[in-house]
Amino acid sequence: MTDDKDVLRDVWFGRIPTCFTLYQDEITEREAEPYYSFPEKDLLHCPSKDAIEAHFMSCVKEADALKHKSQVINEMQKKDHKQLWMGLQNVVSTWSSQEIETTQRVKQDRFDQFWAINRKLMEYPAEENGFRYIPFRIYQTTTERPFIQKLFRPVAADGQLHTLGDLLKEVCPSALAPEDGEKKNQVMIHGIEPMLETPLQWLSEHLSYPDNFLHISIIPQPTD
Amino acid sequence: MAEEPESTLQLSPSTAADGEGPTEVSPETATPEPPSSAAVSPGTEEPAGDTKKKIDILLKAVGDTPIMKTKKWAVERTRTIQGLIDFIKKFLKLVASEQLFIYVNQSFAPSPDQEVGTLYECFGSDGKLVLHYCKSQAWG
Repeated sequence: MTDDKDVLRDVWFGRIPTCFTLYQDEITEREAEPYYSFPEKDLLHCPSKDAIEAHFMSCVKEADALKHKSQVINEMQKKDHKQLWMGLQNVVSTWSSQEIETTQRVKQDRFDQFWAINRKLMEYPAEENGFRYIPFRIYQTTTERPFIQKLFRPVAADGQLHTLGDLLKEVCPSALAPEDGEKKNQVMIHGIEPMLETPLQWLSEHLSYPDNFLHISIIPQPTD
Repeated sequence: MAEEPESTLQLSPSTAADGEGPTEVSPETATPEPPSSAAVSPGTEEPAGDTKKKIDILLKAVGDTPIMKTKKWAVERTRTIQGLIDFIKKFLKLVASEQLFIYVNQSFAPSPDQEVGTLYECFGSDGKLVLHYCKSQAWG
């Protein structure tokens, strides 16, 4: 006769398909005790989708605080904020050929849904040449700092548009190669290296992440 | 004026001898911190320059949240929002399970891992960073 513990071991390792049902009075509000050690120092807990939505909206609000002194985001209604979040969420799909077509159509709708609101966050007054300040964060592998984020105007005093290179020279000069030296780093946004001459205002309008920030990674030049 | 103890980059609430997080150096605060060699951290290499300077934070209560007796604090730039939340909760004697929200510009809640130094650079005015704190979500 098999021992209870042998059966339990088989259940644990998935060798016996098992369906568990809790009786109502067995279900408690208490959080499960984690048996692994959550990397508290490196990760934020994401308790629910609402928490992620709140975090996302806070990032968008912070970006708009920099771009427009929060005027644009504050003028929007709650439903517009909701639409930004809804447009961002993934569509759950099963991959039958009919549903693939539907999914692609829905993904396009999501894109349009998101951008219907987001494009307002990319506007600026006609008399200006860009946003007030550019929302950006620069991530490096070489320091303990989480990221670099500072105030930086997209337009110089003489009306010239600041470039990506100008930004780096000002806030992260170590990322740039010395005058006659070898290129040591790749400056990446969305996994590509934009030209350093690209105007920052343009990057902010067109290459920002959905939270309206430019997330810029400085990684060592691969040597292959 | 009390001597400013050296602070670690890590933000556990008790770098100072008496267990309080940010040190008070502003003249309008009540209890100056006694100099404490226990707070010196010889191990961490800290970059020279303004990363060691503290920034001034002004805390404002929202709604029926209890008001801090001391509102103005000098805080290390690398202190995170979560560290600040923990400190305020301890100072106000809130239970750990009670939530506390912090807002910048009365418009957004910064991420808990964000450093106050960065927020001060981007959203500070008149030499200080004003933060509103609330037990409930005030600005969404």
